[in-house]
Amino acid sequence: MRPILLKGHERSITVVKFNFDGDLLFTASKDHVPSVWRSENGERLGTFNGHKGTVWDLDCCRFSRRLITASADASAKLWDCETGECIKTFTHSGPVRGAAWADGSNMFATISDPFVEHNARISVYDVPENDDPSTYADGPRLEIEFPKIDGKRVNATNIVWLNLNEALFVTFDNGSIRLYDPVTGEELDEFFPHEKKINRVRFNRNKTLFITSSADFTAKLYDVVDLLHLKTYKTDRPVNDAVISETKDHILLGGGQEAMSVTTTSGKVGKFETRFFHLVYEEEFGTVKGHFGPINALDINPNGRCYASGAEDGYIRLHYFDKSYLDMKDPVPEETVDGEDDVDDDDEEGKDDEESDDESD
Amino acid sequence: MSPNSSSSAADDLADEAASLDGYFSDAPLEPRPRYPPIDESFDRCVVISNLPKVPEAKYDKLAKVVQKLVSRIGNLASYDGGGGASSSSSSSDAAAAADPDGSFAGFFMPKSADDGVTAGCAFVEYESAGDARKAIEVLEGYKFDKNHSLRVTPHERASYLSTVTEGEFRMPEPEPFKERPNTMTWLEDSCQRDQFAIRQGKETAVYWSDGRSEPVVDYDGAREKKAGVNWCDYYVQWSPKGSYFATLVPNKGVILWGGKGFEKLGRFAAPGVNFVVFSPQENYMVTSNNNRKDPHAIKVWSIQSGTCLRTFPLYPKDFLDPNESEALEGGVPPPPFQWSHDDKYLARMGKDLISIFETPSMKLLDQRSLAADGIHEFQFSPKANVIAYWAPEHKNQPAHVDLIELPSRKQLRQKNLFNVTKCSMVWQESGEYLGVKVTRHTKSKKTLYNNLELFRVNEPGVPVEMLDVKDAVMSFAWEPQGSRFAIIHAENPSSTKVNVTFYDMYKTIELEKKKGKKGGGKERQIVAEVNLVETLEGKQCNCIFWSPAGRTVILAALGDSASGTLEFYDVDSKTLVIKEHYRANQVLWDPSGRTVATTVSQPIGGGHFKFAMDNGYVLWTFQGKQLAQASFEAFYQFAWRPRERLTSKEEIAIIAKNIKKYEKQFNAFDEAKKRKLRLQETKGKRKSRAEFRAVMARLGEWRARQKQERMELLGGYDSEDEENFTTKEITIETVLNTKEDLVY
Repeated sequence: MRPILLKGHERSITVVKFNFDGDLLFTASKDHVPSVWRSENGERLGTFNGHKGTVWDLDCCRFSRRLITASADASAKLWDCETGECIKTFTHSGPVRGAAWADGSNMFATISDPFVEHNARISVYDVPENDDPSTYADGPRLEIEFPKIDGKRVNATNIVWLNLNEALFVTFDNGSIRLYDPVTGEELDEFFPHEKKINRVRFNRNKTLFITSSADFTAKLYDVVDLLHLKTYKTDRPVNDAVISETKDHILLGGGQEAMSVTTTSGKVGKFETRFFHLVYEEEFGTVKGHFGPINALDINPNGRCYASGAEDGYIRLHYFDKSYLDMKDPVPEETVDGEDDVDDDDEEGKDDEESDDESD
Repeated sequence: MSPNSSSSAADDLADEAASLDGYFSDAPLEPRPRYPPIDESFDRCVVISNLPKVPEAKYDKLAKVVQKLVSRIGNLASYDGGGGASSSSSSSDAAAAADPDGSFAGFFMPKSADDGVTAGCAFVEYESAGDARKAIEVLEGYKFDKNHSLRVTPHERASYLSTVTEGEFRMPEPEPFKERPNTMTWLEDSCQRDQFAIRQGKETAVYWSDGRSEPVVDYDGAREKKAGVNWCDYYVQWSPKGSYFATLVPNKGVILWGGKGFEKLGRFAAPGVNFVVFSPQENYMVTSNNNRKDPHAIKVWSIQSGTCLRTFPLYPKDFLDPNESEALEGGVPPPPFQWSHDDKYLARMGKDLISIFETPSMKLLDQRSLAADGIHEFQFSPKANVIAYWAPEHKNQPAHVDLIELPSRKQLRQKNLFNVTKCSMVWQESGEYLGVKVTRHTKSKKTLYNNLELFRVNEPGVPVEMLDVKDAVMSFAWEPQGSRFAIIHAENPSSTKVNVTFYDMYKTIELEKKKGKKGGGKERQIVAEVNLVETLEGKQCNCIFWSPAGRTVILAALGDSASGTLEFYDVDSKTLVIKEHYRANQVLWDPSGRTVATTVSQPIGGGHFKFAMDNGYVLWTFQGKQLAQASFEAFYQFAWRPRERLTSKEEIAIIAKNIKKYEKQFNAFDEAKKRKLRLQETKGKRKSRAEFRAVMARLGEWRARQKQERMELLGGYDSEDEENFTTKEITIETVLNTKEDLVY
């Protein structure tokens, strides 16, 4: 089906996110103005005006009432989703890279980049929904600094609260992931899933699995409880974003050549497609073309009926899946009772083109 | 001397000293007197042995010949009879024996006192130690005549040897026979698969490719990984018949592997090695480290014994102009060594000559190089001991292409060419034809044009045909084992659209049968005449790759500015399939012609960033269907394992006749294999799915345990409770447009 082109941003898209219910799509770009769209038809409901820099990240609370945005103008803003009004601005010591609501939506955490003499840090703010916004403290309740490693500054790239706010989950540009205690600020764990920068980390809805997208051309699936490495999805380009489908055992993966080298190659082969992988078998089974710049952000609607991709080219494409995709079954038939059975030989024929016939414009 | 006399002598001396007291000083003389240093070494002297033993009558003649030979190396020392006192004792002894008057001319050949027969050796003294060393280097092993090759020993070594007492010679124990692994096992593969090796990142691996499905790993250096090392850190290379797999270790040398499981077969110490040339029959190997300062830059090895047969400097003597050589650092590539097809000869181009070395002695064939005035390039025929070389216009001589037979050095054919700018020679794989692409200029030297000189080498007299091509010819390639060739040409060499033309060396003409005979009809006759088969116009390609099986050709646009277009063209059925492998820089056919690989690789040690993207390879069938694809972060090398063509043309014809029978067998086999593979794959997938489901179940359980707490966080709201969701159906009616029509 023809994708809905969401025209509204003027510069590269940095993040696209569906809300919990999947009826709204929040997007941010380098043009300072985050937007919200109706996911059913691609209508723009409104914008959040006020930032003076690139908006790197945003997060909408569980009940779609409040939104936080993280911006390169060294501030995070709290918005009323319905009116689009800014409730409060939280100034930081450096560009804000990421923001995340805690479970219960009464506090949020941000990560900021190092700036001049300030190190990168996590800031945790209390913003109880039932309190009057004027009583919110200007400063964070907790700050966790990232000291330099071997004289080199480290940059955090993503932040997420784990289930029941047990830990803050932070990814870094050196390929590591650290867990912090959100009360004491103590470092709980550190591990290295990648050798290069982790561009994005996404959790499934239950926050039991997460997938990291890295500049080392791979995306990796982990379980949250034991932090066990489950699967690896290999591509031939840096991966900017990967999401886990809620309704199918699929992974959507987007990326492409680094923005700086895009101009040196023709768009035909920049590998700017959205790739579809099977969650379990790690096999790529389809691609959707369309963007002419690397995909920076992806999200799949929790109802599994559509997905959105935002790219360096400034476009957001909202794709509704064809029936053939929605009807698609696991390529491996379930085991029959007697165990050792026949395999239908024609079963896999033609599946490779399942998705790639989405046209481009 | 008795102690008595010594004490009296001491007394005398003491007296004398007392009387001279005051005249002597212990102070050093100023200035110090200069004494010539006494040369006590014998390093200017050499002993030549294994000379012929001749009777007295022939003494002078032999002495003259030997003297002439040794004096070519350097000047011989000579002493007069009078001044003999200053010479060292050995040479003065020798001189005394040589000439009654005590003079010595640096050469002495002893003879028996009884019958005057020479002892078969000679003593030579040079003016400088350097000349003596040079004499050892040059004359050692020199073939003096048929039965005598000289041994040259430094004098000191010779005098040491003369003190060695003769013991009883005991045969050394022969080493117990160790069976070397069978290097041909891979050819016994039941599926007749081909192999290829890849180098990517730190990995080196050999794969099986069956021309139908994904390649399968045969060996990936698992043994080496266990030992904590990489199998190879540099380039790898197959030997021409595929028996050996060479891995290059730049600061150490070359290691050969082979047999089942790739066992280590040999190590060859060649520091700095960066490339290897195997001889076609796999008996020898040439290594080079490309270091122009190293007098042993190039080494020739015997593979079986592992011994170094001879070393060479990178450039032959006088090859580089001494004035230019410094400036051209790395500019002129060193002339490569080339092996003859049967491993008998190894040849290298020098200045105005080709040096041909015989194996295994590595001596110059007939002790002289093959004179080739102004030679620019030479090529061995791939199937016969014939050398083709060309030389540009030189000293009023026209440019010429020569075919020389070895070892007779008989000139089979010479073809003179005029107004030549450049030539390039291409042998057809079975050595039947030689194509020479000649780039010529007009008299004004402003415009260039091409023609092709085609030699039919196997026909008596080696007839040459000239094919005039008005256009610029960019590429020329023979069909392996066939009589056809293809050229890429265009009016303007820089144009993007080019034409590809196929020619055949034979022409089939149909003759009307003579009227007298029955049946009428036509009779076919094959004539040896170059014949244009077909021209494909407006192509975008710059390289031609014939399949080793002939018939199929890939026209590829490789390199920087090109798109990586691949056109698979069947010359017989004239079918064309166009594919693309973006940025491809190599096209490699497997030895059977079933599969072809296109690669995007980068040089080891990095290079320009533009090489670093899209690294990987794609495997295609000869019909242009993609079989497999692999991408790597850093892909360095792809190499098919070559193999010998073991079936003759007749055998192939028989197989072709019974193809139906074989086809059935193969199809059944393929089907069974496919099915097995599929079952196996399904099984594996089911297993991983079961494992994954177990993980998910565990995670689900874990999450369910948190339900109460989570609900508290959300103010008692349960996201999973369906009661909290209501479905409303709203129908919105929109009137798009109304139209009123009058109805009569």
